[in-house]
Amino acid sequence: MAGVILRRLAGAVPVLLIVSLITFGMMRLIPGDPSSVIGGLSATPAQLAQIRADLGLDEPFFLQMLKWYTALAHGDLGRSILLGQDVVGATLQRLPVTLALSAYALVITVVFGLCSGVFAALRQNTVIDQLAMMFAMLGISVPNFFLGLLMIILFAVRLGWLPTGGYIAFTDDPVGWLRTSTMPAISLALLQVGLLARITRSTMLEVLRQDYIRTARAKGLPRRVVVMKHALANALIPITTVVGIIVSLLISGSVVTETLFSIPGMGQLLTQAVLNRDYPMVQGGLLLTTAFLVMINIAVDACYALLDPRVRYESP
Amino acid sequence: MEKAILARSGLAATVACVAMAFGTVPALAAPFKCPRVGGDFVFGQEANVNSLDQPASNTISTRNVAMNIFETLITRDENNNPIPDLADSYTESPDRLTYTFKLRNGVKFHNGKPMTSADVVASFDRYARLGLERGMFKNVDKWEAPDASTFIIRMKEAQPTFIELLSSFSVPVVIVPAEQKDDAPMQLKTIGTGPWQLVDFVPGSHVKLKRYDGYTPNTHFEERTGFGGYKQACFDTVTFRIVTEPGARVAGLKTGELQGVEDLPTKALDDLKKDKNIAIVPLLNWWIQVAAPNTSVAPTDNVLFRKAVQAALDMDEIMDAATDGNYRLNVGFQYPNQPSYTDAGKEFYNIKDPAKAKQLLAQSGYKGEPVVLLTNKDYASMYNAALVMAEQLKAVGIKAELKVVDWPTSVNMQLKPDTGWNFFFTGYGTQPALGALATMQFFTPPNANYKPKDGKDDPDLMAAWNDMNSKPDAKDRQAAFARMQALIYERVYALPFGSLTKVQGVRANVQGFKPFRIPRMSNVWFSN
Repeated sequence: MAGVILRRLAGAVPVLLIVSLITFGMMRLIPGDPSSVIGGLSATPAQLAQIRADLGLDEPFFLQMLKWYTALAHGDLGRSILLGQDVVGATLQRLPVTLALSAYALVITVVFGLCSGVFAALRQNTVIDQLAMMFAMLGISVPNFFLGLLMIILFAVRLGWLPTGGYIAFTDDPVGWLRTSTMPAISLALLQVGLLARITRSTMLEVLRQDYIRTARAKGLPRRVVVMKHALANALIPITTVVGIIVSLLISGSVVTETLFSIPGMGQLLTQAVLNRDYPMVQGGLLLTTAFLVMINIAVDACYALLDPRVRYESP
Repeated sequence: MEKAILARSGLAATVACVAMAFGTVPALAAPFKCPRVGGDFVFGQEANVNSLDQPASNTISTRNVAMNIFETLITRDENNNPIPDLADSYTESPDRLTYTFKLRNGVKFHNGKPMTSADVVASFDRYARLGLERGMFKNVDKWEAPDASTFIIRMKEAQPTFIELLSSFSVPVVIVPAEQKDDAPMQLKTIGTGPWQLVDFVPGSHVKLKRYDGYTPNTHFEERTGFGGYKQACFDTVTFRIVTEPGARVAGLKTGELQGVEDLPTKALDDLKKDKNIAIVPLLNWWIQVAAPNTSVAPTDNVLFRKAVQAALDMDEIMDAATDGNYRLNVGFQYPNQPSYTDAGKEFYNIKDPAKAKQLLAQSGYKGEPVVLLTNKDYASMYNAALVMAEQLKAVGIKAELKVVDWPTSVNMQLKPDTGWNFFFTGYGTQPALGALATMQFFTPPNANYKPKDGKDDPDLMAAWNDMNSKPDAKDRQAAFARMQALIYERVYALPFGSLTKVQGVRANVQGFKPFRIPRMSNVWFSN
């Protein structure tokens, strides 16, 4: 398994290089630059030109590129033009927020998605199955932005149970974190719950029709053992693949939720950086985020090996 | 004899100035005292604060917070007149080549260090290196600090508008400790002299300030006025929370989690007005909605065509759509409550005469070329204004097309006349509030907003601009402004539609919160 991980890590290097090249090029291809943001609405053309010169944005494209890669080779991802913070520091400040929120959303997704999928499969074509799939479809169809607003109106404005927005770190106040993160996590998770429930249901139905399940039942094994040990264990491989994708989606898709609930996470940071043309922040932030997602994919591959002995044995 | 300037507010100002002439200074009325002290005032701000480095940023979101922390030598009062702030007084020599500022005694920075003229010199040095409006120093020869409480600016040549520029709150020259002189752009350590000091700044989340107990208020005043005056911090802390989603700001105000918010959506106002716990605070004249023509390309290079466009427009319709009804029609580039307001050129405003537009269009020889309106959705008012203007132009036979991009892209495109646009949609916000001089900069080189063909600026316009800057008499400078505004209308170098109202709201127990260019947190308190 160590060989698999090492090969994957080596394969990540060209991925990161390509991502950095594309990001650098794309950011420079988009019209507009940070001068219009720093200068504000009332900047005169002369001020805009002065800001561009101050930031070195009037330098040739390849010179800017050379400078960035030279710094990168020395481990320097640069400094955000607008925040004044170094890119690594800004990322490390925001990443835990997004990770905590995504982890909470993932727990909701796995618990509700997996359970409703399994129950729907076991009660195929019953009211339970139809109800579970109806909620799954609802989760997939309702935009999380809309759901978030509805939850704010109900739980914050009408009932006063939860705050309308803001964020308290888990390390500062676990109860405060739970209060500020519950609505965003539900809003973020709902789409993924629907997705996972449908995948789990179809995978479980396929597994439940297999000969070894019929054999297990024929042997007189209790239903719980058949479902948990034989059916679900075999269904977990495709489900794990989907969960891996869901983790990526939760991290990368948190921007709307973070904006709505005023949560200072990575999604908001990178989106603002793109909108503000904060070149170093976008380039460095995306590179770090990509590296993180590559690591998650490698971790998912490692999980395959743990769940499926065939993967372990097939690995050289 | 040197002209001395020492401000007083209101009636007391007049009494004090008269008394000074006779060598006595009367006791002022009792200064403002917080009726109640304490609490955390949470303000929902619409835009992210990127940095608190005030000299390096011209964004409203930075100013909202930073101007509660930092102070300047001179600033503007409630009516936009220059007043001393950290300066005790200042004098202008008769030849207008020397400005001498006496600093107030006892002013301390948030780190406890007393402010001296060495800090002022260092702050000016840093501003001259990276301040966004450092162009104001082009006629400055040098500055010096002959003693710890005196700061002198020596000019190369007289500039009658220098004090107006120096007191600007657009990108003000804030005074910071001398140790911060070499701080890089966007990395200024947040240590000022204001009534509020920084506690915590998490970009994208919040900025928390606390009362600075060592604050020395300006005793030349009894009340807060504009960005200066007698300021007192009544709350224990103030939290600017970034809430970019309008619906979330409304919800926060209703629940009381936010005690004040800016930019309330018009659709929510009826509901909010019924809530006795909420007070709506409209901030009139927030900005002037403008479309700037590109006079370098056809057909907008033709003044007759531009006049046809001008004649076709119904400003009420445009502003109503742009602002959901929160607007006032406004002639020109100043507001009626400002001393420099003029309605020069009013005959060219809000003509809404399609027949005349068609006639002018025929005279211009317009051949049905596409006319591109460059706008963005980042500012909904600009997009909506463009949408309605396009329909009004189509109604008179102009083939109007929208080009919708994001704000940075549109700013970048409008810098060059050859990027495929005819009208650029923007707003003049801070500059009109600062006065005529600041606003008219948009029509001056380099790269004036109307994109003069081959970079050749209109000589009549430039003559008026030069008079605005150089005439020693204020009346002559005002006359030059009126002439310049009339020319802009007559030659259609801009289409100012009207002024927007920004709607703020506070909880009913918040007292002393008066609308201004930034939310001022001093002299504001909770009644219970």
